Amino acid sequence: MPLFGQLDLATIAPRLPTLPDLDTRAWVLPGAETMQLLMETSRTAADPLLPKAMHPAVPSYLAFSFLRCPESPVGPFTLATVRLGSRAGAHPRGLVLGAYASTQEAADGLRRGWGIPAQAATVRLRRHHDRISGEVIREGATVLDCALVNPEAISGSDVQLINWVTMANAPLDGTTAPLLIQVDPKYTFHKAERGRPEVRVFDAAAWNAGPLRPTNPIVATIAMVDTDLPRIRFVMDPVKPVYQGTRRIRESRTDE
Amino acid sequence: MKFGIFYEISVPRPWTREREREVYNNCLEQVRLADELGFEHVWAVEHHFLEEYSHCSAPELFLTACAMITKNIRVGHGIVVCVPQFNHPIKIAERTATLDILSGGRLEVGTGRSATWTELGGFCANPDDTKKSWDEFVRCLPKMWTQESFAYQGEFWSMPERTILPKVYQRPHPPMWVAVTSPGTELDAADRGLGSLGLTFAGFAEQERKIGEYRRRIQLCEPVGAFVNEQVATTNFLFCHEDNKTGMAMGQRLGDTFNYLAAQLISTREVFASRSYQSLGLLPQLRRAATGPDASPEQAEGLCFGDPGRIIKAIKHWESIGVDQINFILNANEVVPQDQVLASLKLFAREVMPVFGKGPAKAALAPAAAAGA
Repeated sequence: MPLFGQLDLATIAPRLPTLPDLDTRAWVLPGAETMQLLMETSRTAADPLLPKAMHPAVPSYLAFSFLRCPESPVGPFTLATVRLGSRAGAHPRGLVLGAYASTQEAADGLRRGWGIPAQAATVRLRRHHDRISGEVIREGATVLDCALVNPEAISGSDVQLINWVTMANAPLDGTTAPLLIQVDPKYTFHKAERGRPEVRVFDAAAWNAGPLRPTNPIVATIAMVDTDLPRIRFVMDPVKPVYQGTRRIRESRTDE
Repeated sequence: MKFGIFYEISVPRPWTREREREVYNNCLEQVRLADELGFEHVWAVEHHFLEEYSHCSAPELFLTACAMITKNIRVGHGIVVCVPQFNHPIKIAERTATLDILSGGRLEVGTGRSATWTELGGFCANPDDTKKSWDEFVRCLPKMWTQESFAYQGEFWSMPERTILPKVYQRPHPPMWVAVTSPGTELDAADRGLGSLGLTFAGFAEQERKIGEYRRRIQLCEPVGAFVNEQVATTNFLFCHEDNKTGMAMGQRLGDTFNYLAAQLISTREVFASRSYQSLGLLPQLRRAATGPDASPEQAEGLCFGDPGRIIKAIKHWESIGVDQINFILNANEVVPQDQVLASLKLFAREVMPVFGKGPAKAALAPAAAAGA
């Protein structure tokens, strides 16, 4: 069987976000812009960050993502995340290691709603003639500085944005304990571009990314999308293989 | 209907010193038996870095070993990767010609371009270019095999005039194929007069549509080689057992294991936005098959699991929609014990093959050799 993650939950449980319930209301996010840079990373360094329920991707990779939302239930905000490419059973997933939001209200809502470990910081997504740069500054220090270099237009149908998994303490069956939460936004693409990913500054500790460093570049994309953060549909036990430990919270997205 | 066996060479962890050797030896034992039983083809993939799923990175060596221990079964590259970072075309021409000689004219050459980022990224190949380099390679190969001397100036590779040696044993040259996973590749195959080497497990309706398009299109083809290889092969699993329930259960385990391993790899389109990879390809199809919801009853109906009667029914259906050849995956991660793999092959040969006019091979030279070519 494929390898599993090796994360010792006890080491991170105290700093996980806590959800009051699993009845999160969806956020509709029209006219958003999402940039994603994919870079390979060392698997021997990645596996200790991955819950035992999940498989490493072959090869391991990091997704540096920015989501600029001009409209949301908490007002305009920009979210930056670093996710670790992995598998939940047979499904590709991006495990959220760290996150920053440009407003405190957004950070609080993302933590409470989906277990996204967001903190407030300066988060910028800026377009230059030859690049689109993303930057996160926390308490005066740059913790991420990256860019999509030499953008070229592509079809939105060429862009794949995989679902996220977050780790959070959440109530289930009368107990609040660490769970993996699937976050599966839907996307309607209006415009897309592709370029070369470049990461100039990455403070791994600020993203709960241990010793991970970006290595071999894969690709960078940016797209104008209508998207959302939907209601929670699936949660997983972080220490059981997902085909044994997955719980369906609600049947579909039709009640959103 | 022709029958073959198809190897990914899947090796379970832990990879002890003897583990890979044991799996390779199991495969060779199966090939020797398949030859005696009258199977007509053994195919081997070329994959790199695909942990557990496929440890078959040097298929020309495996196929040479197969050729050396068999008499009649044809040996096929399923496929050789036609991307310059993986294989230089001169080396492909030389290696395949050598294998054709050593096998006595039993070589089939499948071509393709790789579908995973795991592999393309590993060789620092640009996914945007793979279809184009494949096209250059397949147009050059027959000339390299057959012309006294050859020179070429292309976008992805070039060479001044030289004599490429040795020359292939078969005349005019071995049959050529292309791996068909992405939608539309069956048309690329047809346009070039290549055989369609299907590597997906799609249901009957989808396969019938693809085969229909292929047959229509190939009527007007401009073959890249000296002849048109109008053949449609498809891939399937095989576990044949006297007891249908036992056969179904083991077959399902085999299929699920194969699909689950495949799902761990990164298909190119999953991470690399490119027009060159319009579909998610084989791996996500297998992922869906592994996880249930998309595994239609029709799909299950087409898989060769169960007792001989059930398998005959499935094969007749494949035959009715125009499939010429079915190549069977016999194991994945060694979940089927070797003695059961061999028993399954024997039962299939005894009970199923005669229904399709097949039986144990007669000691004979390969067609090209028999023709004195």
